[in-house]
Amino acid sequence: MSAATHETEHHTSLGVDNRKLLMWIFLASECLFFGSLLSTYLIFKGESLSGPGTDIFAFEITSISTFVLLMSSLSMVLAVYGAQHGQLGLMKLMLLCTILLGLVFLGFQVYEFKTFASEGLTLSTNQFGASFYILTGFHGCHVGVGVLYLSSLLISSVRRNGIGKETPLYIDIGGLYWHFVDIVWIVLFTVVYLIPAY
Amino acid sequence: MADMNAVHDAHDEHPTTTIREYLIIGLVLSVITAVELVMSLYEDELGVVLIPGLLIFSAIKFVIVVAMFMHLKFDSIRFTQIFAFGFVLATCLLIAVVVLFAYDATDAIGGGFIGDPIEHH
Repeated sequence: MSAATHETEHHTSLGVDNRKLLMWIFLASECLFFGSLLSTYLIFKGESLSGPGTDIFAFEITSISTFVLLMSSLSMVLAVYGAQHGQLGLMKLMLLCTILLGLVFLGFQVYEFKTFASEGLTLSTNQFGASFYILTGFHGCHVGVGVLYLSSLLISSVRRNGIGKETPLYIDIGGLYWHFVDIVWIVLFTVVYLIPAY
Repeated sequence: MADMNAVHDAHDEHPTTTIREYLIIGLVLSVITAVELVMSLYEDELGVVLIPGLLIFSAIKFVIVVAMFMHLKFDSIRFTQIFAFGFVLATCLLIAVVVLFAYDATDAIGGGFIGDPIEHH
């Protein structure tokens, strides 16, 4: 290992990079955030006395958007691969793909929300509606933040036009956030949309 | 030169996964999602198998993404411990809250449902 590399290393008591550690701690706390929202949703699922219930869901649309988000995770991991292997072109292309797929997912969610609202399910219709919109809406907000986050990484990589010392780490940390958004949706898709209400 | 060393160091952290393997993992995730969708369409035929089946497939997808895409399989055990702590805590919270509301103990002792008017003596 060269002296130059030693200069860039961060010596910590745990032996891991503090920035990456911070992201993992943040993601662990996010588990609790989504756990609370999901438990609230499960309490009110199928309990509404008025307004539409889970019968309003359109599996086809949500399945496509789920597939889109899964593919965005694939493109994100390829962007990380590109950054770690010094393939700048692959990294930029895959970051752009991830951002576009994230925007497509958000488009599907906006379409779904508008459709549900036109069919009578709004935030104030019943407790099911309130818990559903808050849960999936907060996930959508996380996707939106992820899109902005990855856009900033893409813009900085275009400006720099090269793989810097910290680039693989920054892309890796951005990737952690994006994959977390994906695994949250894996759980939400199954629990919210696929498992029927009793 | 320092840049190249940093890149190679990062490369050495995850030496086993190739682009082809990532594509295969993506395909596996898509297939599992398709199977989940088909299962949900045959809700009546599957009966009691449906919910455990969907949860198992969801857990498989979750583990694949966390282990392979988020590199927990290759990274420091510290990250796994931190994330597992948050995830287990969240799962316990979810189960506790759902059970609390699903099985209201006041029903058993004649206290009525949550929300019923309280009788004053």
